[in-house]
Amino acid sequence: MSTISLQIEFGGGLELLFSNQKRHTLTLPSEVPFDNNTKTQLDALSAVKTKSADLEYLMFHLRDHLLRDRPELFMEAGTVRPGILVLINNTDWELEGEGEYVLQDNDEIVFISTLHGG
Amino acid sequence: MVSESCGNPSVESEAIMTRRPKHDKSKICIKCKVNTGAIVIRHAVYCKECFPALLNSKIRRILEPHINAKPELSRKKSLKASGNLLVAFSGGLGSTVLLDLISRIYLSPWTEEEVEGNLKGGKDHPRNQPVWKSVSICYVEIASGFPGMTDKTMKIQQILREKYKTLEFISLRLEDAFDMSWWDKVGGKAALDANADLTNDELFISSTLTTPTLNPVERLRSYISALPTHTAIENAIHTLIRVLLLYTARSTQSSHLLLGTSLTSLSIRLISSISQGGGFSVWEEAYEEWKPDSTTAIRVIRPLQEVTTKECSMWAWWNGLLVVGQEKYPRAKEGIYALTKDFIIGLERDYPSTVSTIARTCSKLAPKVEAVGLCIFCERPLQPGVQLWKSRISLRETGQPTTASRSSDSSPVLQSLTPYLCYSCHTMLTSRNSKGVSGNPASPSLPLPVWASIHPRGLSDDVGRSGMQPDLNGNEELWLRRKIDPDEMKVVIGDFLLE
Repeated sequence: MSTISLQIEFGGGLELLFSNQKRHTLTLPSEVPFDNNTKTQLDALSAVKTKSADLEYLMFHLRDHLLRDRPELFMEAGTVRPGILVLINNTDWELEGEGEYVLQDNDEIVFISTLHGG
Repeated sequence: MVSESCGNPSVESEAIMTRRPKHDKSKICIKCKVNTGAIVIRHAVYCKECFPALLNSKIRRILEPHINAKPELSRKKSLKASGNLLVAFSGGLGSTVLLDLISRIYLSPWTEEEVEGNLKGGKDHPRNQPVWKSVSICYVEIASGFPGMTDKTMKIQQILREKYKTLEFISLRLEDAFDMSWWDKVGGKAALDANADLTNDELFISSTLTTPTLNPVERLRSYISALPTHTAIENAIHTLIRVLLLYTARSTQSSHLLLGTSLTSLSIRLISSISQGGGFSVWEEAYEEWKPDSTTAIRVIRPLQEVTTKECSMWAWWNGLLVVGQEKYPRAKEGIYALTKDFIIGLERDYPSTVSTIARTCSKLAPKVEAVGLCIFCERPLQPGVQLWKSRISLRETGQPTTASRSSDSSPVLQSLTPYLCYSCHTMLTSRNSKGVSGNPASPSLPLPVWASIHPRGLSDDVGRSGMQPDLNGNEELWLRRKIDPDEMKVVIGDFLLE
């Protein structure tokens, strides 16, 4: 099973939810459960429907394995909460297909909270 | 099957508003048509190189028509303000981005690259000669009003002084609104500490001469705890900050006050304000000219009002701006503003054009009648007939004073604050208490900010009830005449007696 290495960064205060750490390095399998179940063991993947690791799965992985507090401030209804911007290699994720973007090795994903006020 | 009415989304699937499809058009920048886009702004794609010019043009389009004393329609006239500039800074995203962009566009010296590349934009470019004589940054700290809240003044001062070395930093505190020494410093007219009685819709005022005096922090906390709803707390704090900034702008001889309200924040504020009865000053939410007297005219401008929060965020990220952020005070989420914010931000993500539609629609609104002065609380236009309207549409308590505050020969003559309040401020103070706070509910007494302790002369007891408007004249001072007993008189003049 091949893996993907990712650089994750949080900004705009979002790092407070992730141990106050702005930068994280992650390794994900290239194939993941289709239903975004982050608890499925690697050797059990052959028994379930899978998909290429995408941004949607990454969000669930971050919520289930890195988030320390208040998951509702990060995700809502299966995607990032309104007010959180996502950049994929310094580009707006809207240009890359949002949650359907298939992750590539060494991608840099940034999550920025815009809820700072005026 | 097409739904013919606004059905219930929980049982009728076709009643749900369908989300617009994800961006599936060209990824090429709409401006240069060469580079690959990096950001989508309301369905338009921009590259990282064209993005700064986009923000630059939006800000200049909003700000520059209002810089010169006379509005300039010709673009050939150079920019020259009649006074100084005050930039409000809250620590939030909008004001951080505003300060950075204003500094780049109007205050930064030309770099060698720009000079060699002949990019100076002609002799009338704003960076070729100073538009304002001096520029100050003003920050208002609100931590004193809420025990346990972190005071960020020193942190913000350090950050701003390091980044903007040539700009003066002015630090205010929310309790300055109840501090007579601050009021003297900014040239305010003589006033007395006064409280308003919230148990009666007339909001009778009493002076605090005979009660133990509280310091400004205590008066601020008393003010916050007396407000009837969490919505009122947010609204009141916002108003206090705005008026503190106005008087600071006046004291610094500023002709312009800039606020970092983005398009998103503006839309939230418009909807929230209108829902609380602020429709008469919808225009002022985007732009206002504050004229408290014949010698003062300060233009309050929001240069980012066409820039969404998303654009501000991307600018801050791509330029490495440090956003300190604003701490939320307790239970702020329960107010109308916070609920509106959640709604608008959700709307913006799925239907980005909606937010600009709100601001554009509101900019087309204008009140049918003219203002009869300024509201004594928020210093915004005061509409006529507020109390007459309220008496027709709602059940209200009668205007009789409570027993504790009934006038007599030796007690203060009652003055009603109500005739001098706009609809929104009066509603804010007289909403039914929904906080469920402990404390003495019998007579919640609201300390008044120093500028609201001033009222026009000639107030009659009939004005508030009949719906008549007082004869307001912005130049008139308030002096409350009343008979006082010998003991109270001795307290006032005791220091001058030779004994």
